[in-house]
Amino acid sequence: MTLSQAEFAFVSQLVRREASIVLAPGKEYLVEARLIPVARAVGAPNVSEFLAELQRRPNPQNQRKIIDALTTNETSWFRDREPFSALTDVILPELVKSRTATRKVRIWSAASSSGQEAYSLAILLQENLPPGWSYEIMGTDISTEMVKRAETGEYSQVEVNRGLPAQQLVQYFERAGAHWRISQQLRRNVSFKLMNLTAPFPAMQPFDVIFLRNVLIYFDVATKRNVLQNMSKVLRPDGWLFLGAAETTIGIDDNYERVAAGRTSAYRARTGAPAGAARRV
Amino acid sequence: MSVEVEVNENDLAEMVEQVWESYLDPEGISPLIPTYDENQPSEVHSSVSITGSWTGHIVYASSTSAARRAAAAFLAMEMDEVSEEDLSDVLGELANIVGGNVKAMLPPGALLSLPQVVLAPETTARFPHSERISGVYGVWDGEPVSISMWQSRGDNKEGAE
Amino acid sequence: MRAMVIDDSRAMRMILKRIVSKLDFEALEAGDGREALDLLATLDEVPELALIDWNMPNMNGLEFVTNVRADPRLREMTLVMVTTESEQSQIVRALAAGAHEYVIKPFTEGAMIEKLALLGLVPTGANS
Repeated sequence: MTLSQAEFAFVSQLVRREASIVLAPGKEYLVEARLIPVARAVGAPNVSEFLAELQRRPNPQNQRKIIDALTTNETSWFRDREPFSALTDVILPELVKSRTATRKVRIWSAASSSGQEAYSLAILLQENLPPGWSYEIMGTDISTEMVKRAETGEYSQVEVNRGLPAQQLVQYFERAGAHWRISQQLRRNVSFKLMNLTAPFPAMQPFDVIFLRNVLIYFDVATKRNVLQNMSKVLRPDGWLFLGAAETTIGIDDNYERVAAGRTSAYRARTGAPAGAARRV
Repeated sequence: MSVEVEVNENDLAEMVEQVWESYLDPEGISPLIPTYDENQPSEVHSSVSITGSWTGHIVYASSTSAARRAAAAFLAMEMDEVSEEDLSDVLGELANIVGGNVKAMLPPGALLSLPQVVLAPETTARFPHSERISGVYGVWDGEPVSISMWQSRGDNKEGAE
Repeated sequence: MRAMVIDDSRAMRMILKRIVSKLDFEALEAGDGREALDLLATLDEVPELALIDWNMPNMNGLEFVTNVRADPRLREMTLVMVTTESEQSQIVRALAAGAHEYVIKPFTEGAMIEKLALLGLVPTGANS
């Protein structure tokens, strides 16, 4: 049943070319599992036939579906905890001191998938910003389907089980049939846009904090460098960048330096960081 | 005003999918493949009843082999180690989980019964004055499995509080 | 550490036992709230955690939580409801009665571990 080597190679090349994502060998069964619903949805008898047809007659729409199926992974609320604690304990207190003029915090959730990270950030800011402050969170993703999903702010039972404290579930969500829908109070501060991080960035207002977690791992070094350089242009000089635990800017882009942020670390622009704002590690 | 049935076929399908994702197919490699055949055969079935703001039944039916496989997945044992008691317990819990989730979507004031398990085809079940209002029918590793929802007639005349 | 698994379904108890065992808990089982209270009365040391179904014969999970919260000896026990009851009002009720967390069935193993991690019951490194 598992994909042949040639089929896996075809899919690997496709996602590498179109989304700069590297598929590890040995994941054939997972790739196939993710493609079964795609093949079924387009009326192909099985994954092999679906791929064979796509090789004979390239079809951008179906290629996109493959990329969507392989780039979406399960996301939890407050995933990995530590960056969120760092935000509450270290970064927000600092921003509350330095942003007194605007009393506004802007955060980018890059590769926002189905939106859990963006809405987790909204819950956190809702609970931790002083009265009279506002916030904006922008989520971006390469998948149209994911952007649409995130915009609905609706999650299944299984999804709200994942890492979301019950108290916050009942406070910030309401039941909508079989799903749970994020409250308007949070929803109105969060927007989602379609965006390919490996393409030139559109014009954007700068951000105080950027979450770019578990994205760079899929890119080759040149792409990583390019993305990090573009990010630095939209990150405020005293802003903070969070990467995934297995990712770093070190050896890729020396314009960032790693700094301690609570019990984890984040990245800041090497020049322009106010002295004493952060401990170097 | 009558109580509308607020659980449609898509909702039911999603609940079933979540049961597979959680317990029966955590790796995502052996999903329930829809057949849309509401007359597919079964050898065992389980059910829970809901009473109150809505009255009806949720029925889980499958072949013995699919039930055995489900029990093996739940209990982390080999299929040939599964006893009749294991089968009953897992079939009951499957009906209970789907039934509980259906109940949560109904107007307040619905009560869920304890599950009932019958090691005989679903066609032997009789739910007086009830009709099937939706269902998910599929094959799991080639074996038939279905989850259907039956509504008792005349239960929804009075409306929700 | 010890965890009490309270559910009238043996299949569900098996699933929960497997998960807590992975986190190095020793599992104790009870088929309903009454049985769980009786078992607790015989124990010298109170288990750190209880995973509690809602709908059970004899004594349901909500009554069990209320009983535990009323007993100073059991004050340290972390209480997690694990149930198909998923109306918003039911979750609010359980939290008000003293449950610390709430897991809706069906749940994946990862989801259960994440919830226990929220409660500080997962050794670091086990949550991945």
